[in-house]
Amino acid sequence: MKRIVCSLFLLGSVAAGSAYSQHVRPIDIGASPQAVGEAGVAWYTTWETALAEAERSNRPIFFMSAAATCSGISGVF
Amino acid sequence: MFSSPEFLEAIQSFVAVRLETFESKEHEKLIRELMDGRFANTAFCILAPDGEERLTRTGRSPSQILGPDAPNRGRGNSSDEKIVAHMQEIAEGYQQRDSNGAPVLQDFHSFRQALNVAAGDQRLLLYAVTERHHADKLQSRIGSIFSYDKLAGIFHVDQSQGQNDEVWSKNVEGASPSPGYYLIEADEFGQDGKVIASFPLSTEADALEKSLQEANRIYGERVDRKVYSEHVEEGRRKDVFFENEVPYGEDRDGDGEIDHRRGRG
Repeated sequence: MKRIVCSLFLLGSVAAGSAYSQHVRPIDIGASPQAVGEAGVAWYTTWETALAEAERSNRPIFFMSAAATCSGISGVF
Repeated sequence: MFSSPEFLEAIQSFVAVRLETFESKEHEKLIRELMDGRFANTAFCILAPDGEERLTRTGRSPSQILGPDAPNRGRGNSSDEKIVAHMQEIAEGYQQRDSNGAPVLQDFHSFRQALNVAAGDQRLLLYAVTERHHADKLQSRIGSIFSYDKLAGIFHVDQSQGQNDEVWSKNVEGASPSPGYYLIEADEFGQDGKVIASFPLSTEADALEKSLQEANRIYGERVDRKVYSEHVEEGRRKDVFFENEVPYGEDRDGDGEIDHRRGRG
């Protein structure tokens, strides 16, 4: 099988840690354990807005980058 | 971990930002700066509120920067506990301010990406169609309900700021150029969507919050979590493709060149 690397971020279905740094194949990917509609992380999605909010609120920044696609297929984060 | 109550509580002491790695050359540049010249699909780092000072090293996973794989970590038994404990330790060094204006409202660089991310997270997307100079007014009106109150982490928010977005007008059923709040349900691949509710910009924050809560409740009851492996398989069958500005690939040795381009990211 063609090995395709995804950076999928699954809101908790991937154990914290090594899974992010390993090559995760689409076939390995399940579903988020969080029910649809439940509150998750309140992500800012541009650096500019995040930095402005961090400066405003004096909160440190939890930075993450990942691909919002898998094998070029959208609707995956 | 990202859905655990402990993590979700701990991250409220931080501003959480998640960028699409391949969205733009600006993102690539920022990631390379954080990773000392390297470029990777995933990157994590904790920074001070000035966005300059790094409070952890940069890594490809939370545990590499905060957990048992990070230097000098010992508190807690599990990986998740160590990560949360380290986050709490960092947050204790900062006195949070809530009095310096309204919280900054979330935004995306493009409506196209907003729709994609909303589909990926399976969250409803609130799109505020406004005039170019309306951002401050919008923020003061509704910024707080998406940052600290009941809607935090439930929706994604994008703002038109006077831009007439082509994806919005062509790919979303019920789209309108008229100013207002439009609540959108993205399709499963995040390239199309439909407006499921709309509200005037004059809607008070409390009323908007109640309406959005109800819409989210119905959405949650109606929609099941997607199984990502099945989603990707279906996407292959349907030849779905989402192109970013930066082609997929990593530069792990930091020589400025992409090492390989297997797959499509």
